[in-house]
Formats: sequence, structure tokens, C-alpha cells
Amino acid sequence: MLLDALRREAPTDLVPETRVADAPPAPAPRPTDATGRGIAVTARDLRKSFDGHAVIEGLDLYLPAGGFTAVVGRSGCGKSTLLRLILGLETPTGGRIVLEGPQAGPRRSEPPKRIMFQEPRLLPWARVVDNVAVGLSGHGSRAERRERALAALAEVGLADKAGQWPATLSGGQRQRVALARALVSRPGLLALDEPLGALDALTRIGMQDLIERIWLSQGFTALLVTHDVAEAVALADRILVVEAGRIALDLRVDVPRPRRRGDPDLARLEGRILDHLLGAQPTL
Amino acid sequence: MRPTALDRLRDTAVPWLLPVAILLGWQAAVSAGLVSNRFMPAPLDVVRAGWEAGRTGELWTNLWVSTLRALSGFAVGGGIGFALGLANGLSRLSEQLTDTSVQMVRNVPHLSLIPLVILWFGIGEEAKLFLVALGVFFPIYANTLHGIRSVDPALVEMGRVYGMSRTELFTKVVLPGALPSIFVGLRYALGIMWLTLIVAETISASSGLGYMAMQAREFMLVDVVVLAILIYAALGKLADALTRQLERACLAWNPAYRSA
Repeated sequence: MLLDALRREAPTDLVPETRVADAPPAPAPRPTDATGRGIAVTARDLRKSFDGHAVIEGLDLYLPAGGFTAVVGRSGCGKSTLLRLILGLETPTGGRIVLEGPQAGPRRSEPPKRIMFQEPRLLPWARVVDNVAVGLSGHGSRAERRERALAALAEVGLADKAGQWPATLSGGQRQRVALARALVSRPGLLALDEPLGALDALTRIGMQDLIERIWLSQGFTALLVTHDVAEAVALADRILVVEAGRIALDLRVDVPRPRRRGDPDLARLEGRILDHLLGAQPTL
Repeated sequence: MRPTALDRLRDTAVPWLLPVAILLGWQAAVSAGLVSNRFMPAPLDVVRAGWEAGRTGELWTNLWVSTLRALSGFAVGGGIGFALGLANGLSRLSEQLTDTSVQMVRNVPHLSLIPLVILWFGIGEEAKLFLVALGVFFPIYANTLHGIRSVDPALVEMGRVYGMSRTELFTKVVLPGALPSIFVGLRYALGIMWLTLIVAETISASSGLGYMAMQAREFMLVDVVVLAILIYAALGKLADALTRQLERACLAWNPAYRSA
């Protein structure tokens, strides 16, 4: 039902629209934000340097609530730093970041922001279900946390692994547990820091579909940092290409979902981004 | 392939083959008169001495006294070492304040303090407790500190991002992460505990296993001396086996400690 609504909303013009960054782009069409708990992110003149070496240099950004944005770029371009700044894992050297949650509701129920790391980062000494319950730290009773953790595990298709040690799971399963842990608290912002980089190609595609499905049904704001342009094109409705600490390219992906792998529009878009990334490098 | 009953029997029997063979060879050598039993009693003589000492109750009293000393010394020294290891692993100030001093004292062999300890405490219980506590302190301290230092910072960051409180971060991430290393310290410490106690009892005591062995030497009771040594071996093995059980229960999540 949700997917139908989206398909109807999607514009008929499939040619991706391009704009050079700087001026904040108009909000991308939001997926049916049933729950309306996405967090909108605004960054103004954001700067970050490590030991005098600038990584982010005067970056402006607006992420509308409920959107799925991918950030791509060569390694060392500052894309991971940008994500860590937005999550509050690093303090900016200059500029500011504003996160706006949904207006309604008391302050206490403000949806949290969550991150999925490149590695699963599961606690090896906690059972799978307890690892998921880590996502609910400080919320509710023990039994309540366990119940919600089991539900989140079922959502990622691992209900039968609840009592296992993480060491007995495969790499893809561990990353699914990490996804359940990120989602169990119903976040308003989910940041994904190359979470699928270490997985094999087939597992990765399965995970991409899972992430897309959950994003569509839960309506959080998703921010995916990746070096895999095909992954960005398959998942995001907006792609930011970061170069030397700035947004060099800001592309809308108006291909309707569910997206078919090998779709010519997606392939064309992927080609453009790759050309840009490779062309931006003076010599290899 | 499932291990058969025969395989299991073999697995249990193999570790004991060597000790049993040594005992048999020893008995044979003494019985054949190759070794004078003034220097080395036959295993059967040792068993007889053990039976005799057990019958009069002397053995049990001494064993009990020694065990009590060992455990109380261990509790005091291990407790302080653990607490200081935690403090220095978690607080930079605490570490700066104490670590240098601890490292200096660590390099003094604690048994070299025996003359001083006798001057301070005489040959009373305090002397033994002090020495055991001192000996046990360092391995527990060093391994607790190392364990906390080597906790994966990526997991700590994860815990922070996921909103764990400081207490939760400690009980759910830091302490379980440090546990394998703490267990290494525990096993070292148990070895040092017996060693220190026996030396202390041998030199200055009026009861305990070490005292029993020294008394026997006075009366040339070689079999009792050897009996005491064998009891040390058994106690060491027992302590090690208990730690292993504890390890297996606490570290079941770690494939390296499962079964085996």
C-alpha cells in the first residue's frame, strides 16, 4: 500500500535533475511519512579541521525530514567526518548544525538519532537479543526492552537467533542485528556509515532491500555514506557528491521504487557520478 | 563424527598417563634399591605417611590453617589490586598519581621483605597475610588495568552513541571486555598465592603445611616432606581447575573458551 502511494507520487519525468550545491535545494519529495518522526538536518557554513588540516570547509546542507540522502565521494573527502559531525560524534571547528524533530509531542518523546557503523560493533558477550536491547538503553523495563528487541529482530528476519552469541552469526547476520539495534528505538535519523562495505555482493543487495523496506515503512530521515555509487543510486532519493570538504554535486534520483537493479536511468545516473568522481581527480 | 565412549575415555586418560608412569617408575626404582629411601621415599611410603597424618588429624588442621591464610591474603591483596586496576584504567588522574609508584614497588621481589615483615609482625598471622596480599596484588592489578585499557574503543563509542549511562557503559561494555585479561591475572595470582604462603610458612610459622614440612625435616621424615610437596601440587591444580570452570562459565561467549 505504501509502495503504491509512492509510485503514484513519483514524477513521470525520470531524467534526474541536477543542481550545483551551495544554494540549499528544495526538499526532495518525501515518502509517505506515515509516522512523521523524521528529523530534519540543517548545516550552515560547517567547518572541521584535524590538527590544522581542514576536512570540511564551509559546507551548507539541508536534509528534509524523512528523506533518504546518500553521500558519496573518494576516500578522504570528508564524507564520514560530515556524518560524524551531524551525529554529534565530533564537534565542528566552525559553523553549526541544527536538528529539528517533529513539532508535536513532549520533549521526552523526541525520537533519537542512531548510527550504523561499518563494522557491526556488537557486544560479543551479550546474546543477540540483548545486543538489540542496547538500542533501548535507559528506556522502559527490562521485559519491555526485551519484547521490543525481539520485535525488531523479527523485522530483520532474525527472530530465531535471539538467544545466540554474536560469534556464531555470519557477517551479514551480524550487520542485520546491528540494524535491528539501530531501529529498535524508532529513530528519527538513521546514519549509515558504509554499513555494507564488508559484505559480499549478494548479501549486500539483500541488506539494501531490507534497509529500503524499513525506511519506507518507518519514515525516518536516512543518511547513507558510501563509496559504492551503485548502492547510493539504488537507495537514495538524493545524492550528494562531496569533494575536498564541500558538496560538489547535488542530484535528485526520481526513479520510482521499488527500483529494479540494472534500470537504465539508474545506470546513466551512476555513470554521471562516476565520471564526475574520476574527472575530479587530476592524475591517477 | 561423534566421539565414542572410547574416545572420551582416551581424552580423560591421556593427561594422566605421564604422572602415573612416573609414580610407577619411582616406586620400582626405590623398591629395587636403586634410590636410597633416606633421600627419596617410595610412593607407597608417602601414602602411608599421608594416611598416618590424616588419621591423627594433623594434616587436616595444617591444611585448613594454610587454606584460610591463603584465601584471606588473596581476598585482601586481590581486592586492592582489582580496585586500583579499575581506578587506574578508568581515571587518568588516578593512574598518574599511583602507577609510577606501583611499578617501582612491583620490581622488588616481595619475598625479600620477609626479614622486614618478621621484624614488623613477628611470626603471627599478619606476616603471612601481608606477604600473600602483596604477592597477589601485582598480577591482579596489572591484568585488570591491561584488560580495561584493551577494551575495544569502537564498542565504547557505540555504547556512548546508543545512550548508555556511565554505569551501564562500565557493567555492559568495559568490565566484560576486560574480563578475559582479569582471569589471566587471577590464575597467575593463585600460583603466587600458594608460593608465597609456603615460603612464608617454611621460614616463620607454628602451623600450616609449610610448618609441617619443616618439622618433618627436623626429624628426617622424608616421606612427610614429599607428602607436603605433593599436596602443594594438588592444591595448585585444584585452584587452576576452579578458575578454568569459572572462566568457562563467565566467558562462554568467547569461542576460545567454549568446551575444549
